[in-house]
Amino acid sequence: MLLHLASRSFSAGRRRPSRPASSRSLRPATPAALVAGIAAALLLGGAAAAQEPAELLVEPSSLTLEVGETAQLSATVKDGDGNELEHPVLFFSRARRFVGVNPAGLVEAHRPGEHTLVAMSPRDPEAMDRRADIALMVEIPVTVAFPPLERISVAPLPANLYAGTSLPLSAMAEDATGAERKPDFAWESSDPGVASVTEHGMLVLHGEGRATITARAESVRGEVALSVRANPAARLELTADEDEARTGDVVWFRARALDESGSEVPDFPLQFAAFTRTPDNLVAPGAAAFVEPDGAFVAERPGLHTVVVTGGGLTARRAVRATPRNVRKDWEIVGRGPVRDRHTSDLWVWEGLDGRDYAITGTWGADGHAYFWDVSDPASIHLVDTVRVDARTVNDVKVSPDGRFAVISREGASNRKNGLVILDVANPTDGVRILARYDDELSGGVHNVFVAEEHILALSAGRRYDILNAEDPANPYRVGRFELDTPGHGIHDVWVKDGVAWSSNWTDGVVAVDIGGGGKGGAPNNPVMMGSFRYPNGWNHAGFPYRSESTGKMLIFAGDENFPFSFEPEGDLPDRAAGWVHIGEWDDSGEGREVARYQVPEAGSHNIWVEDDILYVGYYNGGLRVVDVSGELRGDLYQQGREIAFFEPADPEGYKKNAPFVWGPQPFKEHIFFTDWNSGLWAVKLVDPETPRNMGEPN
Amino acid sequence: MKNALTNTLKNASTNLVSLSVRRAVTAALTALAVAAPAAAAFAAAPEAPTRNYFVYVCAESDDTVHLIRFGPGGLEEVEKITVGSFPTETEGPHGIRISPDGRHWYLSIAHGMPFGSLHKYETGTNEWLGDATLGMFPATMDISPSTGLLYVVNFNLHGDMVPSTISVVETGTMIEVATIDTGVMPHGARADRSGGRIYSVNMMDDELVEVDATRFEIARRLALGTDPAMDHSAHAGMAHGGDSGGMDMKMPTVKPTWATSPTPAGKVYVAGNGDSAIYEVDVADWRISRRFDAGPGENPYNLEATSDGRLLVATYKSGNKVGFWNLADGEAVAVPETTRRVPHGVVVSDDDRYAFVTLEGIGGEPGTVEVYDIEAAERVADIAVGKQAGGIAFWKGEP
Repeated sequence: MLLHLASRSFSAGRRRPSRPASSRSLRPATPAALVAGIAAALLLGGAAAAQEPAELLVEPSSLTLEVGETAQLSATVKDGDGNELEHPVLFFSRARRFVGVNPAGLVEAHRPGEHTLVAMSPRDPEAMDRRADIALMVEIPVTVAFPPLERISVAPLPANLYAGTSLPLSAMAEDATGAERKPDFAWESSDPGVASVTEHGMLVLHGEGRATITARAESVRGEVALSVRANPAARLELTADEDEARTGDVVWFRARALDESGSEVPDFPLQFAAFTRTPDNLVAPGAAAFVEPDGAFVAERPGLHTVVVTGGGLTARRAVRATPRNVRKDWEIVGRGPVRDRHTSDLWVWEGLDGRDYAITGTWGADGHAYFWDVSDPASIHLVDTVRVDARTVNDVKVSPDGRFAVISREGASNRKNGLVILDVANPTDGVRILARYDDELSGGVHNVFVAEEHILALSAGRRYDILNAEDPANPYRVGRFELDTPGHGIHDVWVKDGVAWSSNWTDGVVAVDIGGGGKGGAPNNPVMMGSFRYPNGWNHAGFPYRSESTGKMLIFAGDENFPFSFEPEGDLPDRAAGWVHIGEWDDSGEGREVARYQVPEAGSHNIWVEDDILYVGYYNGGLRVVDVSGELRGDLYQQGREIAFFEPADPEGYKKNAPFVWGPQPFKEHIFFTDWNSGLWAVKLVDPETPRNMGEPN
Repeated sequence: MKNALTNTLKNASTNLVSLSVRRAVTAALTALAVAAPAAAAFAAAPEAPTRNYFVYVCAESDDTVHLIRFGPGGLEEVEKITVGSFPTETEGPHGIRISPDGRHWYLSIAHGMPFGSLHKYETGTNEWLGDATLGMFPATMDISPSTGLLYVVNFNLHGDMVPSTISVVETGTMIEVATIDTGVMPHGARADRSGGRIYSVNMMDDELVEVDATRFEIARRLALGTDPAMDHSAHAGMAHGGDSGGMDMKMPTVKPTWATSPTPAGKVYVAGNGDSAIYEVDVADWRISRRFDAGPGENPYNLEATSDGRLLVATYKSGNKVGFWNLADGEAVAVPETTRRVPHGVVVSDDDRYAFVTLEGIGGEPGTVEVYDIEAAERVADIAVGKQAGGIAFWKGEP
């Protein structure tokens, strides 16, 4: 009896091949489980366990539904003898946003696709032994058909189309629910002698006449009618705003198609290309230049570059000579404020009310210290005071523009209330004292802060920022708050420039909010969103708004943060990060458009500062990076000879030895101060090199 | 004599069969055992361990998990496992639990961008196997021994005071298959022995909830309070309404932070962190049957009862103590001070001999794991681990 019971309890892990769907064990039986089953039966008596469930049957075993359609599942639990048992069965969906099922087994399809429902029944609800084959389980595949396409729209074509030219086609499809779909379109032309479509979706115009271009998918079609005119173009004109440039400079090429009379042919499709002859001593340079569809040309390597424009069987070319940018400088270590017994986080450098220069640095994953340094003589940096608060991490440190008070963030407080601490820094040499602690609704940990005039912006719980009035820094109070309403939104940092708060929001990118200077009626107690600069990788960690001195354009330098590689904060090996600086042009409509990047391979960006058209980046394992961002910016600045200097602060006595991991930079009075996660505060200075050319590049 | 008999049976059951069998034995003896005088329960002097015990411990401010062994060779760290994916952000591993079969451990990580997550590792090798994104600040969890489904509270510790959820995760696929609306700041999650019910508390609603683990819904709610004579059962089964969490915006006083699994006698114990008390709830009657006053300023935080329901071990977060309670008479028979500040988690070994307690520490202090001989209510070992040691899970005891 007992052995019979045990056999039923633990050997029924089988799946019936035919419908209805039947159960399987989550895992084969184990000897230990067998022993446990025998023993349990001994102690608890065999009568109850004799009806141990052995099989779970679900009908129907699979479903095919339309969106919005419902169906009912029924489940039966049987013992080893095939007797039906009164036994609980639970249902759940592995894709509940696509297909749902309630406890009674009622299924409702929400979205198309191949999904799975699960029915499960505990084998023995009273058993507490550690075993894996704890439940009978049945998977019910559900196919929710895509609703049929309802509409295909072919994108409008230019008003003027000319024989002998080509241009890309595109179309959009919507299904019956209004959702956009991306089927493979089959293109066809009503008159291939007038126009045809290549397999890659290029419209090729062959001769004069009318034709209809059709995009098909499923049983739906979309059409566009076109009329092809004779090609009036007699020649192409190509001009450039410069004939000489440095690498990295944007040279604008303008191309026009002209007819016999010299008049411009409107809507004439043209394509740019570029090729290069590099100096003889620059061998195998790879791609040395590029030209974008709008005619923006950038040379990455010196040489004689030729831009070609083609269209309608015509071509034109024009050369531009690019010389090395030669902006490189050497660096000189001026001074240090080493911190070797813990990680260092952010910094802020300012001129104190006493006329001396100071820096504050935070600490990370330690015991709540903030250090105050006298950096008046960067060659003789010395600690003037230390503040310790109940925290593990003082991630961010900021000082008010008037130098009266500092704000430090708290994470890991023992009472889990975190918040921020306001410090009197009017005279750090004579001591820094705590003015106020503020944690009201900031208990989630304040990761970053910013001081804008008399207001403090403080991040809360990675979800929003609160705006505090700190006119009396000893008695701050909340006046406003900003939080996105996008699904799953997060926030990492905020920076204020001219009354606009620029927050960094991971997948939501950099978001601009008028808090008094954006012209949208915003104020600290009424923040008004202006727009955003999003980009695809979703790694937005920091943002620095900057108006270019050389172009007047409003730029957003948006830094990534990511760690796709192995990382051991307390290990012995250097760590690596990933990500880059995205550079966006901000337009008056309130949207950013990414035009350039600065990407150091095999390293990751962190905090950013831009001043005098120079970008300073703490690039984690890539060290401190200094980049010329003057002029218009296109492409990858790293490739263009724009890098002025980089410095990797290795410290053999660092918290992690010889492991540069630069956190954040700040240029200040002819020096660059920066913090390194493993070695503390550094001050370096750029000096003119013997030769400004990029190391390893030919003269 | 009864105590000796209990121990003898306990050891025999541990050596021969499984925990469930031992629990069946001890359950049969519960009525006898709880009648034993309190002093007798703590008469034994600590004896050296004869088995090795393994626990996993979270260090919330170091983003590490520590595998700790306690046995004849002493107390030592076997391995430190770095967890999380953003090393320059403190992500906060908080809750940890071992699967019923002992093959996997599951870890809740509080912070993400912004949602927290659940991670699955293999015990022993500590190999990461998968993860699932959950809600805000997922914390305590338990796994139904009869279905393998995992229930983890989304504590939302730092968010607005709005009702949160309990996530249900299919551990085989690491897919969140349901969320159960519960209350404001849910914490503690322990299954009954069948896995059919989960007990949790809503800290800022002052209530204990019972979750129907198969229907993914709240079965019963019990309002907690400071007056044990009060008929709290009137709240049982009440709908949970509005943002006030059904409490009419009344400020919480109990601030419950933990609920134990039901004991064999059908009692759930709730830590009243706000009013420094421990509540005994009769599951069958769904009412508070007793209230134990832990003393002012002690603030019980986590609880674990021995498998026979005879003894209860409580961490006192503010008092920096560990309370040992005889559940027969509701008396605290020993309240030793901890070696470091901010006691947090507690777990009892499979043979009920030892309680493993975590201490968070403050600032740069390391966390600590302390081991207490339960019968003697005496600390027998301690070891430093990562900062802010909190969640703790008992993996196994072996010869």
